[in-house]
Amino acid sequence: MIRADLRAAVALVAALGLGCSLFAPKPAWELPAPPAADRPIARDGALTRAELPNGLRVLVHEDHRLPRVSIGLTIPRGSAVESPAQAGGVSFMAELLERGAGKRDALAFAEAVDELGANFGANAEWDTVALAISGLSRDFGALLDLLADAALRPRFDAREAQRARAALLASLEHAKDHPATLASWYANRVVYGAHRFALPVAGTPETAARLDAKTARAYHAKLFVPTGATVSVTGDIDAQAVIAALRDRFGAWPKGALVDPGPPPPARAPAQRAITVVDRPDLGQTRIVVGHEGIARTDDDRIAVALFNVVVGGSGFSSRLMNALRAQEGLTYGVSSSYSLRRVPGPFFAATFTRVEKTRAALDILLAELERARKEPPGEKELSWARTLATGSFSMELETSDAVTAALVDLDVYGLPEDSLDTYRTRVRAVTPADITAVAQAHLHPERAAIVLVGPAKLIVPQLDGLGHVEVVKP
Amino acid sequence: MPNRRLLRAAVSLACAMWAIGSGAASALDDPAARAKVTTLDNGLVVLTLEDPSTPVVSFQMWVKVGSRDEAGYTGLAHLFEHMMFNGSKHIGPEQHADLISARGGEVNAFTANDQTVYFDDATRETLPLIIDLEYERVANLDISAKTLDRERQVVLEERRLRSEDQPSGRLYDALFSLVWQALPYRTPVIGWRSDVEKATVEVCRKFFSTYYAPNNIVVAIAGDFDSADALARIERTFGKLPPSQPIPRNPTEEPEQRGERRAIVHFDVNSPLLAAAWHAPATGNPDAEALDVLSTILSDGRSSRLYQSLVHDAEIALSASGAYWEFNDTGAFVAVASARPGVNLAEVERRFFAEIERVRREPVREAELEKAKRQLEVGLVNGLETSHALAGRLGQDFTTFGRIRPLDERLAKIRSVTAADVQRVARTYLVEDQRSVVHLLPPSGGAPRKAGGGA
Repeated sequence: MIRADLRAAVALVAALGLGCSLFAPKPAWELPAPPAADRPIARDGALTRAELPNGLRVLVHEDHRLPRVSIGLTIPRGSAVESPAQAGGVSFMAELLERGAGKRDALAFAEAVDELGANFGANAEWDTVALAISGLSRDFGALLDLLADAALRPRFDAREAQRARAALLASLEHAKDHPATLASWYANRVVYGAHRFALPVAGTPETAARLDAKTARAYHAKLFVPTGATVSVTGDIDAQAVIAALRDRFGAWPKGALVDPGPPPPARAPAQRAITVVDRPDLGQTRIVVGHEGIARTDDDRIAVALFNVVVGGSGFSSRLMNALRAQEGLTYGVSSSYSLRRVPGPFFAATFTRVEKTRAALDILLAELERARKEPPGEKELSWARTLATGSFSMELETSDAVTAALVDLDVYGLPEDSLDTYRTRVRAVTPADITAVAQAHLHPERAAIVLVGPAKLIVPQLDGLGHVEVVKP
Repeated sequence: MPNRRLLRAAVSLACAMWAIGSGAASALDDPAARAKVTTLDNGLVVLTLEDPSTPVVSFQMWVKVGSRDEAGYTGLAHLFEHMMFNGSKHIGPEQHADLISARGGEVNAFTANDQTVYFDDATRETLPLIIDLEYERVANLDISAKTLDRERQVVLEERRLRSEDQPSGRLYDALFSLVWQALPYRTPVIGWRSDVEKATVEVCRKFFSTYYAPNNIVVAIAGDFDSADALARIERTFGKLPPSQPIPRNPTEEPEQRGERRAIVHFDVNSPLLAAAWHAPATGNPDAEALDVLSTILSDGRSSRLYQSLVHDAEIALSASGAYWEFNDTGAFVAVASARPGVNLAEVERRFFAEIERVRREPVREAELEKAKRQLEVGLVNGLETSHALAGRLGQDFTTFGRIRPLDERLAKIRSVTAADVQRVARTYLVEDQRSVVHLLPPSGGAPRKAGGGA
């Protein structure tokens, strides 16, 4: 039917003759962008918050469009609580939550999850341990029981701990087969030295070898308290029924004190330029990572830094770095920069890759663009572009209710205002060129950045003349 | 307008019926069932699915060309996909992506064996710009020697990234060139290096004029947009494209395999890799769902057979899975495992094939069958969540089957799979003579690199 209507319309236009082309609409790229409608981040009345008497926070996000439900429990402490010598303990504890809980051993727990067609995960990050399970909403009770068992009644079976440790040690060796992983590991190590952030969340072969059920049990006792934790439920459920069920499953969880979140890293990291070549003689492509300390999740500069980074290297195909290295020179398939926001300042990294013989050429351009970002920070034109990009992609990233819930829980973890998502677009639009110039000076330091290159040292080292002292390591 | 509330009611009902073991296929109110199909006079198909409850609209242009259509220059479909971002009569190189990302939209494309797909995900006010830009590059693409030479370097970097420096890339390249000796599915989608290095402007132009015709393109749009406006705009733009002659297709058929094929690839890894593949039917075959159930029983979740056997009990692998890959002209059941450092791959292979032998020898347990079906069903419901996934399903279905397959049709087929079916497809397809096996090992033959101190 529509097709017939359209044809009639087209025929009519054609019948009016050539003169019509004078009135042909301009292509959309010649017209000003239509204003974006700032939709609310959640439907009216979809969000319900509550708090259990033991301090556990509850966030329910009703979305009845599909018969699904996701349940999450987020503990606001993570791997950052560890000393470097203990690296990997929290992550190991999280892995064991899935290897037997309540009345079920590891296999029975896996069977119970899979029988519901559910997805279950327990993961440690720097600032959180998060458990999540999702499945059909009609299975809500069974899904919640599994999550509550894993959170409150993990078995920490000694044999399963042995298995998990063996798997972890093997996976840490396996991870070195991936050049990107090696580059990231060494970049963190060079930037952070003796701080916990120098080592991967999962630990190193050396620290992982010491992990056992006792360590995991101790971390669980220390971190799993309802204080500061949030249970979130998203999907085709009724908020009041959910809250009643959560009282039943989590109401008896005894209160406890939150442990210290871990020390901040050095304010300047690294103190001076350090160049490390990780020797992989068989590679045809060099991985390049340049980095130094960044900012904290709660830093007042965070919106300006985000917009600055959008222009520099955070916007996919359209960033300055992508233009310089890919569009102009064809030196890479991808380049990006990012500030990793944690409770205490996480790193800034810019990363790319190029054929080995062009390592120096790509590195020079990367460093020059970072230097230019300081000397010629984005003015009103680039900033205006970055604002529209940031507000538009904000709407896109919050497409699903699960994504909105996750973003709200993240605010809880860092103690940020509950309405931060609602005010985000307004705050983005308020950033000025002067703000950008200030953050460019304060938070970008290419002259003393760590430089990590993964590839054949024999071919890379001769290209590095004049850049500074080079250390070559075997992975 | 799709009504997700009705859908929810229907799905709950359907699930309740499955749970009590009803063998009857339940009707399911699927949002894709509300998609409208519009065919323009020049053969362009437009699939539209409005859903104002989501903040995103996904526009996808599915072109029915992929690496299976290549002869001479492998990797051409993919190299060409990159050239689509490199400028046209009115739009400079990279500007297509810049204009859309400037409004927060996400622009990208991918090339597969059977299709090349361009997608733009954005908020509703950006859709007119997307339509005009997509039309502009299909109507007025400009391929110059300069942009081609620059872009081939980008593609070669992508090739190093995904294939040459990536153990799994090396593994799959070797595997598929064993499985198919004649069909173009044997070559990597990204192509062989030499062909990417040598492809010319003329070759690209000929490829463009042959395959980028409106009668070879399906546009799928899902999410927050007005379909009448979008269709009018598409008619006004894409409607002007002239249709081409019938699209040529490769005539080659795969000759019968008579005996197992093996290869060894040496690469500097700590963790050796195993891959195996058996010939399996092309997409749309009645055995597809039984093969999917089989794959789920073997691979999906920590209670799956391969995880339990190779990862949990024997502790010799880091991961192990087997999956049915379906293409337009052929298919394969592809199994991969990564061995733990220091483990002999022969032992991983022995355990892996013992699990395959077991599904051939004895029927799977009823509980395993039900579990696998539930996992597949929940996966299908999860696939309805984003505009991008919905538009992708419309485009994939229509380019493959010439129609949108209702979800309940797919669910009913999954539901009807029996333990005997699973055993039958295992016996039919997972035959030793029809198998190809690749071992990826460190050059010394098994000893991992000496581990350095905690990186």
